[in-house]
Amino acid sequence: MPNLKPIESEPAMAGDFSSNHELRYKRLFQRFVLLTLVCSVAPLLVVGWAIRHQYQRSAETRVMTAFRNEVQHHRKVIELFLEEHRSKLELIARTNNRQAFLQPGKLRGVFDTFNRDHWTLTDIGVIDGDGNHLAYVGPYDLLDKNYSQAHWFQMVMDKGIYISDMFMGFRREPHFIIAVQGNDAQGAWILRATVDTEAFRALVENVMIGRTGEVFLVNQKGVYQTTSRYSGRIMEKAAMTVGDVHPGILVRQEAADAGFNGERTVRQIVSTTWLETPQWMLVVRQDRDEAFASENRADLSVLVFLLVSAGTILIVTVLVTRHMLNLVKRRDAKAETLNRQLMQASKMASIGELSVGVAHEINNPLAIISTEREILLDAFQQANGIPPDFSTQMEDSMNQIDVQISRCKRITHNLLRFSRRTQSVIDTVDINAFISEVIDLMEREAKSSGITFFKDLSPTLPPILSDLSQLQQVFLNLITNAIDAHDNKQYGSVAISSTYREAEEIVEIVVSDTGCGMSEETLAKVFDPFFTTKPMGRGTGLGLSICYSIIKGLGGRIQVESVRNQGTDFTIRLPLRSPESKEDAGHGNGPVAQAA
Amino acid sequence: MIGSKILLVDDEVIFTKNMNRLLDARGYRATAVNSGAEAIRALQSEDFDVVVLDLKMPGMDGLTTLKEIKKLGLFTQTLILTGHGSIDSALEAIKLGAYDYLTKPCQISELVEKIEGAWETKDELKKKDIQDKIQRVVESPRDAKHLFVRLP
Repeated sequence: MPNLKPIESEPAMAGDFSSNHELRYKRLFQRFVLLTLVCSVAPLLVVGWAIRHQYQRSAETRVMTAFRNEVQHHRKVIELFLEEHRSKLELIARTNNRQAFLQPGKLRGVFDTFNRDHWTLTDIGVIDGDGNHLAYVGPYDLLDKNYSQAHWFQMVMDKGIYISDMFMGFRREPHFIIAVQGNDAQGAWILRATVDTEAFRALVENVMIGRTGEVFLVNQKGVYQTTSRYSGRIMEKAAMTVGDVHPGILVRQEAADAGFNGERTVRQIVSTTWLETPQWMLVVRQDRDEAFASENRADLSVLVFLLVSAGTILIVTVLVTRHMLNLVKRRDAKAETLNRQLMQASKMASIGELSVGVAHEINNPLAIISTEREILLDAFQQANGIPPDFSTQMEDSMNQIDVQISRCKRITHNLLRFSRRTQSVIDTVDINAFISEVIDLMEREAKSSGITFFKDLSPTLPPILSDLSQLQQVFLNLITNAIDAHDNKQYGSVAISSTYREAEEIVEIVVSDTGCGMSEETLAKVFDPFFTTKPMGRGTGLGLSICYSIIKGLGGRIQVESVRNQGTDFTIRLPLRSPESKEDAGHGNGPVAQAA
Repeated sequence: MIGSKILLVDDEVIFTKNMNRLLDARGYRATAVNSGAEAIRALQSEDFDVVVLDLKMPGMDGLTTLKEIKKLGLFTQTLILTGHGSIDSALEAIKLGAYDYLTKPCQISELVEKIEGAWETKDELKKKDIQDKIQRVVESPRDAKHLFVRLP
């Protein structure tokens, strides 16, 4: 069966064909990749996203809870500090009368006692019921001041104990005081201590709040009671809205107000809680990014992991798909070749069937014509008195009829030979000797054509079992064609080579010429019956189809390659044993092909 | 052999008519029939030396006709004259006992040559048969009466 692959007849058509195929493969590739991605990367991303979301939520809860606990603890610390100072002052006021503090060194002793471990009080003073300072220890000159009009004085006289908001007072500096009322024989008196603002601020800020965090106190009116790290100074109005006093701790996230943590607009975690006395709001806030730093880092690694996984899957998918597609392509190409061979074979078969019918149908009328001619000849020979001119003409015409009948017979004979080989005689054939004989024969024929014959015969060629006369027909045909291909050239050559492909157990014979070559169109039809490029009357168009049919019948393959104006190569591959020789091993009297 | 009786079997009426005429002109006694069945009938009723048989015929085809002829157990020889299409059947026919084959169209002279060959074969077979029978009679005279009854 001829392998039609090398026929370069199909590029124009094949171009279209292959671009179609390329498009199909491209779509197939895209579909494969998309499907794999949908089935693998999409679930990965969905699961990844869900895990990440879950993790973020739990991380947020954890961080917020930690934040809340920290704030709660810190509020207690501040409250404890105030409570401690208040109760100490209260104890001192209850256990002493005002006269005791008039003694030199007494109030100093009390003051030193307070500040022994930590510096917490700025000053301490004893004030009588009219608001006059009786005794004072501190850096300010306040002994002559009268506090009867001060708000805190009214409050402590009313309630007995009072912790003030931050105020300026006589000293013109922000401070707050803790005042307790004592009673002695002369009536009510007041022990008043000023808490050191810086010491208090240090206490308030003594909490783990990182680089971006800040802690401060504001009173109900929204005035800073301590200087915050970033937001504002003590006694200034706070930018944040204070709202109503609420129990417990509120933790929320909100956009940072301007000025917090530089110019960046970030989200921050804000926690607020109210101290019991005085009613100050403890505010702890921190840049959310910092609070969530470790969580964000973990989150980032999850993201990176996800992306790397997705990327790996993508790359693997593309590579695997490409590999698979290549397999498919190879299979397709194989199927394509097979299909083309099958088509050629079936085309040949149907043409063969048609030929049998046509040949038979023509042979019958030919037989009748032939008999009519003989009858006429008989009658003619018996007739008398025929003019000699007519007699000559009659004989000429009769001869011509006979010639033409023979010609028709030859055509139908060829047709039938194409469709079905006649008796095939399988014998041992020495291909090299056979080629030499054929060349000898043809060389004589082509003497005047200027064509040189070359042979390159492999000495290792084994004898094969095949049909000599059929091979002769094939090679005579091919060489005749090769010689005819030089019609427009003055010189040329025909080369015949033989090689033995030991691995495949195949003998390969190549007939090459330097003739006019063939166009792609011609090449595609070269084995079709009735296709000829020779002038009318010189070729039946059956030569190469018969070659094809014979070689196929002998279990071989014939293929053709041609370059226009440069030449044509016919390659014939023959098995060491033709299939018929195998079949006929059991028969005695030679092969008889199947009946019509 | 001049005067040999030839049976022409072909579905082409004109062809058989022409052949009939040509063979008659050459001194043969030819009879033309146009189907296998007619051929068998003719052979049953009349003795022929040679049958010229086409292979491709409607109804009973040449090979079947040949088999039927063989069943008749005659000395008559069968010559296959066929269109090329049935060349393989022609070979098959030779296997089945046909004398030879010719392909259409053929010269009348070729046909006459083959007919002569077939006639000789038939003649030889017939002579050999008679000799065999005589030999048998000589060997066992008791069977002689059968011989005479069966001789034509």
